[in-house]
Amino acid sequence: MSLLKLLVRILAFTGKEVVETMRRPGAIVSLIVGPFLILLAFGLSYNGVHRVLNAVIVVPPGSGLPTDPGSYRAFQTQGVQVTQVMSDEGAARAELDSGKADMVIVAPEDPKTTLAQGRQATIRVEYSVVDPIRAANADYLARQVSDEVNRQVIKQAAAQGETQGAANGVAGANAIPPDVLAQPTVAETANLSPTQPNLISYFGPAAIALILQHIAVTLIALALVRERSRGRPEIFRLSPTGTAEIVAGKIIAFLILGSIVASLLVASLLLAFHVPILSSFALVALVLFLLLLASLAFGTAIAAVSDSERQAVQLALLMLLTSVFFSGFVLSIDEFQELGQGIAAVLPVTHGVRLLQDLMLRGVFSTGDAVALAVIAAVLFVPSVVLLRRSLVEA
Amino acid sequence: MDENSGIALDAVSRRFGDQTVVDRISLALDPGLILGIIGPSGAGKTTTIRLLTGALAPSEGTVRVLGEDPRRYRRRTRERLGYMPQQFSLYEDLTTVENVDFVASMFGMLAPRRRRRIPEILKLIDLWPARSRQAGKLSGGMQRRLQLACALVHDPLLVFLDEPTAGIDPLLRERIWAELHRRREAGRTLVVTTQYVTEAEECDVVALIDEGHLVALGRPEELRRTALGGEVVEIETAAPVPLSALVEREDVIDGGRVGPNRYRLVVEDAAEAIPAIVDGLTASGAEVSATREERVSFEEVFSLLVRRSRGQPSDPGTPETESDAEAAA
Repeated sequence: MSLLKLLVRILAFTGKEVVETMRRPGAIVSLIVGPFLILLAFGLSYNGVHRVLNAVIVVPPGSGLPTDPGSYRAFQTQGVQVTQVMSDEGAARAELDSGKADMVIVAPEDPKTTLAQGRQATIRVEYSVVDPIRAANADYLARQVSDEVNRQVIKQAAAQGETQGAANGVAGANAIPPDVLAQPTVAETANLSPTQPNLISYFGPAAIALILQHIAVTLIALALVRERSRGRPEIFRLSPTGTAEIVAGKIIAFLILGSIVASLLVASLLLAFHVPILSSFALVALVLFLLLLASLAFGTAIAAVSDSERQAVQLALLMLLTSVFFSGFVLSIDEFQELGQGIAAVLPVTHGVRLLQDLMLRGVFSTGDAVALAVIAAVLFVPSVVLLRRSLVEA
Repeated sequence: MDENSGIALDAVSRRFGDQTVVDRISLALDPGLILGIIGPSGAGKTTTIRLLTGALAPSEGTVRVLGEDPRRYRRRTRERLGYMPQQFSLYEDLTTVENVDFVASMFGMLAPRRRRRIPEILKLIDLWPARSRQAGKLSGGMQRRLQLACALVHDPLLVFLDEPTAGIDPLLRERIWAELHRRREAGRTLVVTTQYVTEAEECDVVALIDEGHLVALGRPEELRRTALGGEVVEIETAAPVPLSALVEREDVIDGGRVGPNRYRLVVEDAAEAIPAIVDGLTASGAEVSATREERVSFEEVFSLLVRRSRGQPSDPGTPETESDAEAAA
């Protein structure tokens, strides 16, 4: 009988939370439609391809290099489009300063003579980019341009040498084509991953993990802090319902609501974006459950240390920001020092992203990450409930 | 008092900073009674209730409720308590029925009992027609009734009600008090605060609190006697009689003239004194045209007690002195 009463008390909070959440149209929008729209906008708008950089080539008079932009079409495949060829370096830099050009490539004054003298000619590539990622890309492209120029020079020299050798009767002077001499090897790549996901497929599961974590953290933190700010602890403390039962009831409610949202998001990935699930649906469901549970534990901890709804919202947003930076959602965790990797390890979304991407795109289940989610939930719930007892039941 | 089933406050004080809100209050209540905690706004009524619920710890003194320290109520004890706070603290997005159902479930009531009990309590306090309306859309008075329903739905042994009738119309107040009396008859104990001093008559024991002090404690009639010094009777004669003929009688405690031939007397026992006074006046040749026992309103009683407690002069409505009457004549 007492077990039945315990169940009734817990389910009182479950039912109340579900009904209250469903009665707020704004909450429904932000819970289900909001995340879906975010995912849709992300999928439709992000192509992950770097913009082609506009380059101006400075060809000094007498260098012997072509002055027609069409002659440099080969660079375009490297992510660089030659828009102008000019002889005045100052005018080219003005184009760069005005933003009309992304890159200025200054060709050597007399590359043939320099080469004939046994020295390296210098191709100077200048760009003006603040964004470090774009700057790295520009630097990479500049080197690609340099390599391409080198290939062209070697090809021309080889062709010239072969022609002269043949004219002088050298046997086998043109045995190796100039193209091969200029580029003796070509790379042949093969990705052995079971799937070659596009950007939506790759980031979709990660976006779901991040959205679910944020929803779970925010909902339970606000629900618990709201009880306190509306003076309900006075009623709770005179009822037989304990803090653990209150928290348990709310967790069940938000697990139910979170599962509905998760199902809709996963279904949208599968049906609208054709993201595969190479593992079983049951394992995906288990991971989503563990992710929600660990996130709810985090939300409970936030409620335990927040003294107002505003503070709870601020902490939930801080957690979202931390997750965006450290979870591997945008930046790879391997690129962080130990401190960053430690922060990543305590975030539910880090393990959720890895688990979901592995399950859906590689068909692999990482037990370590699943255990980590369970440990996060267990470690956070106990002290949070103890702290909440003081504010939620013991006035 | 039965220590394990009643309420006892022993020299309880509660301070907030340097402000003393409850000052050395001692009182005891047997089970099966209605204790009315009455006093003006800011007197310390709600603080006293919160001390009894355990929401506040006393700065000094001890509080025992059902034999326990309210700060450490056991689960079993909490199952037997009901509480209606002064502020609306239910769920605005839930309907009337859902709110009551939630509270009933929180007290572990199983579904069959809830299905039976919820319509019963909502009909009793006239909220059944608004059962499907969200609590946030109810009027202030309806919200208070909803809180009352939530406090009573699990039929608690001991209920704390902080101003349950505030903002409720007189007819419904009558019904609410009738329900509280019915519970009292069923052996339940009720602690009720109210600003309506007239509701003191509905209580078995009244604690009058003013500025944190317990001004008076007792049954309503006892308070009336305490305030006035006895019972009040009014005598009207056909022609004026000397006031001394009345106030010098052994069974008259005090008295005054309230009209040319109307006298207000304080006596030990009105039922015995009135025939004796009539006989006395008739024997002395005076003709008594009317007599009646005057039930002084509780507003007047409390006004007297509070003024006395604060050391202020008596209420001008008390029986006037002979010299005043003669001067008026």
